[in-house]
Amino acid sequence: MRWWSLIACLLILQACREPAISWPEDRPIEVKKPQFFPAFDYPSDNRPTTLRVLLGRTLFYDTRLSANGTTHCGSCHVLSAAFTDGRATSPGMAGIGGNRNAPTLANIAWMNRLMMEGGVPSLETQALAPLHDSLEMGYNMMHVVERLNRDGDLTALAKKAYGRDSIDPYVITRALACFQRTFVSGDSRHDRFNLGQKDHMNVAELRGKELFFSERTQCSSCHSGVFFTDMDYHNIGLSLVYTDPGKARATHKAEDVGKFKTPTLRNIQLTSPYMHDGSMSTLEEVIAFYNQGGVPHENRDVRIQPLNLSDQEQADLVAFLISLTDWNFVQNKDLLPLEGR
Amino acid sequence: MKNTFLLVGFLSVILWSCKDEPEPPVTTTADVNVSFNALWDDQPFVMQQVYMDDFGNRLRADKLMNYIAFVTLVAEDGTETQLKDFMLLDFSENNEISATLPKGKYTQLKFGVGVPRDYNKDQDPAQYPSSHALSVAGSQGMFWVWNTGYIFAKFEGKCDTTGTEGAELLTPIAIHAGDEISYREFVSAPFVLDLTSGSKSMRVNLHIDEIFSPVNGNDVDLAQDAITHTSTNPELAADFMDNYIAALTVDL
Ligand code: HEC
Ligand code: HEC
Repeated sequence: MRWWSLIACLLILQACREPAISWPEDRPIEVKKPQFFPAFDYPSDNRPTTLRVLLGRTLFYDTRLSANGTTHCGSCHVLSAAFTDGRATSPGMAGIGGNRNAPTLANIAWMNRLMMEGGVPSLETQALAPLHDSLEMGYNMMHVVERLNRDGDLTALAKKAYGRDSIDPYVITRALACFQRTFVSGDSRHDRFNLGQKDHMNVAELRGKELFFSERTQCSSCHSGVFFTDMDYHNIGLSLVYTDPGKARATHKAEDVGKFKTPTLRNIQLTSPYMHDGSMSTLEEVIAFYNQGGVPHENRDVRIQPLNLSDQEQADLVAFLISLTDWNFVQNKDLLPLEGR
Repeated sequence: MKNTFLLVGFLSVILWSCKDEPEPPVTTTADVNVSFNALWDDQPFVMQQVYMDDFGNRLRADKLMNYIAFVTLVAEDGTETQLKDFMLLDFSENNEISATLPKGKYTQLKFGVGVPRDYNKDQDPAQYPSSHALSVAGSQGMFWVWNTGYIFAKFEGKCDTTGTEGAELLTPIAIHAGDEISYREFVSAPFVLDLTSGSKSMRVNLHIDEIFSPVNGNDVDLAQDAITHTSTNPELAADFMDNYIAALTVDL
């Protein structure tokens, strides 16, 4: 090749990389949250800014993040289903003990540890997981990095948001975490009722609420606090033999077999099917299961006992669970893909 | 008298010039090169080649990698010099550490096999630049994304445990050891590495034949089990690591 053709090529490449979009100035933002949600401590290197959230939002819906270029985070975490995907288990997240049901990402910022056995300490580290086909990190992430760095607009955005020379695993994981920390859901009818707007729940729902918070059902001892989870791990006697060992997968302890993180119940109406393996398709089925007390697995929590609930009481519990849906959250346009990208 | 005068003048010139002359350089350091080699029956271990172990199983390795941490030489007087913080050994390639250290006699080599807790538990590989052994790129798949932590050692390959001569190797071997239960510290037998006179090299040998053998006290018999992701079979991971440590020798 002659030297001038080399220069011409370089110029063309340079032109390709030239960003077409001029991104606005970055500035810190305060993620809105309901007053009754606890305060949140951001990692010191990843406080939210307009451009960080924007970058995360772009990446969350970017198919270049998957090995085969067809899926993105939003394929399994769909906003209209409160960031779940309606499937029993999600193919592509290969697990040792079978695949798992995609969990909601609502209020994910407040979850102290991630994944159903709690093996991951932060959203930043979690973001490495979906970028690999297997449970073990391969080179995928480096391919993703290479692909994204060819996008001049995106690299310019990344530079502005994180001040680093290029898009690297650090930037990708931070930006994804930053966007996910804006998934705040605290505006259900039940929340409004609690804030004093008493007309937001009907009598059946209120009867269900009472049952839910009663000694008799003990639901709220595990599904506790504003997020309806104690962030702890329990075996609820789902089956006698767990193909997915749950927490034991990380701890190697027999007493942890079948223990899974208590899921939040916010937006539960929209996140079927239920349980770690998606084995129950309706809330009625879930309540019938609790009413029966599960099966006597040796690790089953003592609180899971036959409840002797009447049909009416079971229906009331379902009604209560439905009052936990936050319709504004699942229609929040800021959480959808950016238009035009 | 004239001569004396001249002599004094001459001498003073010499002395003067000596005073101004830079000190002749005295080297206080020496280079050491440490190579890590896999062996089978004291011969270089060849990936993909079929070997027969002490249990009569035939096996081959497709991948053999492990982390080492804080490779340190201990001097005669007990002072320690760290040659390398973290390194990922890949036995399909050459693995060498070159370091410069104070001249002297060294008597011991030690290093961790795996990644020590403070650098492993809940740590984020994205915090390191790509050139670092613990980074996303540098870890080359030696990381569990669902249970944040590094895979300390990986042995992948195939085996035949039926004892049938010439049979195809069909049973997969996948030993992935990690987690605190798999971290080990290697301390060599004493030696004398004389780095007073100049640079030297030393070899760390991993005797693979001794891993798949009862000689070191833990049966890693592929006929019993050949697969662990640590959590699925912590005993195999621990036995493998114990044998690994015992199968290391240092040659000067
Ligand atoms: C193929 C479907 C699929 C894709 C694509 C996917 N996820 Fe997930 N996600 C899951 C499943 C299944 C789990 C549950 C895994 C587990 O607990 O072992 C999960 C878990 C999570 C969690 C932890 C939730 C919790 O409560 O602990 C977060 C956070 C998350 N995903 C974010 C993402 C991000 C960010 C992306 C894109 C980079 C993504 N996911 C892509 C299916 C998917
Ligand atoms: C001992 C703690 C505990 C108690 C008590 C308990 N739960 Fe659960 N709940 C869990 C755990 C853990 C899971 C997830 C189990 C799994 O996936 O294997 C779960 C799952 C659920 C789910 C499905 C969530 C999803 O996203 O898939 C619903 C709905 C639910 N519980 C409602 C209730 C109700 C209603 C009660 C009271 C009748 C109750 N729970 C009592 C711990 C508990």
